[in-house]
Amino acid sequence: MKLIYSHLKHFLPDLSVPPHQLRDDLTLIGHFCNFYEKIGKEIIFDLDIKVNRGDCLGYYGLAKDLSVLYDLKLKNADILPLQTTSTPLPIQVTTDTVTRIQALKITSLKNTSSPTWLKNFLKLHGLHSINPVVDLTNYIMLLYSIPTHAFDTHKSGDHLIWQLNPGYQEFVTLDKSKLTLDKSILMINNPTQALSLSFWGGQNAAIDSQSQEVILEMAIYNPTTVRQNHRLLRSQTEAATRLEKQLDPNLIPLAFSHLVNLVLDICGGQISSQLFDYYPHVKKPLKIDFSPDLVFKISALKVPNTFIKKTLKKLDIHQGLIPTLRPDITNPEGIANEILRFWGYQNIPVNQPLSYKKVTDITPKILYTIDTLKDQLKQLGYDEVLTWPLVSKPSDQNAVQTQNSINSEYTYLRTSLIDTLKLQLDNYRRLKLPQPQFFEIGKIYFKTGSKYSEKYALGLYHHNPQILKNDLRTLGLKSQIENSFAQIILDNLKHPDFYQAKFSPQTPAIELNSQIITLDANLLLDTKVNPQTLLEKYKKIIGPQILWNITITDIYHDQKLGKYRYTFQVNYYNCNDKIAKKTHLSAFNLL
Amino acid sequence: MDLKKLLQKLKDKLNLVANQTELKSVRIEYLGRQGIVNSLFSQIKNHPDPKSFGQELNAFKQAVESLIESHKIKDSPINTPTSPKTSLLAATLAKVGHLHPLTQTERQLNQLFQKLGFSLYEAPDIVTDDYNFDRLNVPADHPARDMQDTLYIQEPKYLLRTQTSTIESYLLETAKKSLPLRAAFAGTVYRNEKVNRSNHFAFRQYQAVVVDKNVTLKDLIGTMDLMFKTLYGSKVIVRYRAKYYPEVEPGIGPDMQCFSCHGQGCPLCKFAGWIEMGGSGMIHPNVLKKAGIDPKKWNGFAFGMGLDRWTMAQNNIQDIRTLMGGNLSYLPYK
Repeated sequence: MKLIYSHLKHFLPDLSVPPHQLRDDLTLIGHFCNFYEKIGKEIIFDLDIKVNRGDCLGYYGLAKDLSVLYDLKLKNADILPLQTTSTPLPIQVTTDTVTRIQALKITSLKNTSSPTWLKNFLKLHGLHSINPVVDLTNYIMLLYSIPTHAFDTHKSGDHLIWQLNPGYQEFVTLDKSKLTLDKSILMINNPTQALSLSFWGGQNAAIDSQSQEVILEMAIYNPTTVRQNHRLLRSQTEAATRLEKQLDPNLIPLAFSHLVNLVLDICGGQISSQLFDYYPHVKKPLKIDFSPDLVFKISALKVPNTFIKKTLKKLDIHQGLIPTLRPDITNPEGIANEILRFWGYQNIPVNQPLSYKKVTDITPKILYTIDTLKDQLKQLGYDEVLTWPLVSKPSDQNAVQTQNSINSEYTYLRTSLIDTLKLQLDNYRRLKLPQPQFFEIGKIYFKTGSKYSEKYALGLYHHNPQILKNDLRTLGLKSQIENSFAQIILDNLKHPDFYQAKFSPQTPAIELNSQIITLDANLLLDTKVNPQTLLEKYKKIIGPQILWNITITDIYHDQKLGKYRYTFQVNYYNCNDKIAKKTHLSAFNLL
Repeated sequence: MDLKKLLQKLKDKLNLVANQTELKSVRIEYLGRQGIVNSLFSQIKNHPDPKSFGQELNAFKQAVESLIESHKIKDSPINTPTSPKTSLLAATLAKVGHLHPLTQTERQLNQLFQKLGFSLYEAPDIVTDDYNFDRLNVPADHPARDMQDTLYIQEPKYLLRTQTSTIESYLLETAKKSLPLRAAFAGTVYRNEKVNRSNHFAFRQYQAVVVDKNVTLKDLIGTMDLMFKTLYGSKVIVRYRAKYYPEVEPGIGPDMQCFSCHGQGCPLCKFAGWIEMGGSGMIHPNVLKKAGIDPKKWNGFAFGMGLDRWTMAQNNIQDIRTLMGGNLSYLPYK
């Protein structure tokens, strides 16, 4: 949601906070401001509006919030009463998915070009100017967060029908997209033509610069219907984003009057019908029993009663009656939230955490097994990895398949850790990682009949199967070893009653982005030297930036020569061949 | 081509290998660029069933590698003196095992919460919409369900949990008869995301839940702040602001001052100066009611955060895929 500072001041003329403060304050009261920027003379804020605040997808709702925060007066636009005629509009509503509609007809208008201020406003919101009537419908939607629509009655006639799709197969939208419809789509039609969807206008009654008579309408629908419709048609519009949320039908008279006033002002013409107002179930304010004590009970903050009263008054909450503009407030805690967000959650002390309290330990015992094993495997030199739980089709017939995975190659949940550990090994081999030795503890998944089950498993790989066999024996685990891999189902083991996992300073992990380069070197020495001393010496010479590992693979005493030959194998990473060779030759004096 | 015979031939050859040089030539014969294995792989495209032949070859290659690798250890000349030279001992830096960086972070948090009397907890990954949405106060077809794109097993009933709050649904149901309750848990959560450098379909979250009498936002914010200080150091600056989640009322969002620009705005924090750190709040009375807990007697808080971004920043990992099934590795000696 874009918000132009100067335009916000139409609703809050006394607003004077600097932009950076407005950015922070909007964020603190729940409307996260990503950034603000200056474009020409205007300052634009970019806001994330949460799904429960449909009202704040318009300037009016945000201004209302800020009027409470800054204790400012909210000013409505100067709107003249609508001078309607006695001619009724022949509009029909045949579906119960409509909450409220207001509509009327205007004739003799000139729909030529929008004023500069309107074009600029829309441009700053990322919308193109089309013609004054269309531009004003967009403008009012951005102001009040209620979408509105206009029909050229030369094309559509006056007989509009709000109905579920009576059988149209296809619909062509204003931008000429062709959508395939089904019976669940809420539409506005005339007796012979499909004219509009609830959230997107159509070509058949599109307004153009020649349009002289129009029906303007503003409506709110069952949000679930709109949501299902736009998801089904895979068409998310600005109107759909708003109509799928709970909007206030009682705001329609103000917003619609503002639209009509602006159309008459900019395009001329006159109203030539009665005001059509369909509102079968009038929405009434929700009554909530609220005690100011709840604010303290929830927050432990002593918010003054005067502040609570003032805030409730500014929010138009009188005697527990919640204004229909705020359908997000549904319980006493919701009212307390309103008080606290304007008082400021940042005022709650941050230095009083919970202290220790003994409560029943409900830790599942398998978690102790997992922690124990992880520590033991680490001791044995194994590295922990995590692999994808989604795999391509496994051989196990009981594999669980996902229905809508975007990653079309990987749609099944794994039935064995070994399958995914093999992929990890392939990755390590591609990177030429020397002597890999790793494990994973994770879940495997099965479907039996209509039931799903999951088990914890341990998967291991050691480049030397004999060592793997010994390690399993050390851990007291039994498993078949196949190609140096083993898997044990942990659910079947006996679990310890308690285990405190070891925690030590974090060891860094490395993102290997290039192959490990392995180079050998022979060192001929006159005397026998402690190999560990040599390793430490060359470790320092090569440096930690590019040294992966260093090993003395062989030590020979050549009795004929009377010398000791040390064969080194050095693994380099984080560098290319050229640097590795240069470093290697220099380190071992081979230049 | 009989792969079993080729494997047997390799075993026979290895039995005759006496030293490193001979072993190296066997390795080149089988695994070299122009060796037997690569020559077999080049025949895949002409095979009548390339897919299964490819799978057989992969298994064959692994078996070859394993045989050669294990032979090297068994018959290494390191401990086999050959005249007239005398072989002594080989040496390497001690190999150290490592826990995954996410496990390390989770343990750091577990340790903190266990000191405060929290249990650890876990629950299934495959859940029903009841546990993932309904019990968390997200009614059917509410737009809040759009906040995450769900990975369904069988729409709409069975799915992979989209958040650790789903574990909270199980926790509240399990612990309702043994209140008060303190529990913390990490869990993998799933979204229907295309995997790339920045997004993954599976990632780790951490959550803590308290249900007791007279729990307040002061307890929540104080405890959350302690958690951030434990993870990020005592100088970390966190602000707390209003935020909406259906399962809590009121909802609070912690933001950490950007550790890269210190609040000035930079590409990392998208020029906001702050980084969103998760969500929290007082457990919604409806959530307690649905778990069979009387909200007039008990209340509580919950907070959760993602662990992947922090772990990536801490280890200078640029690609989220590295954390799971990627290029993650560890220096063998430290």
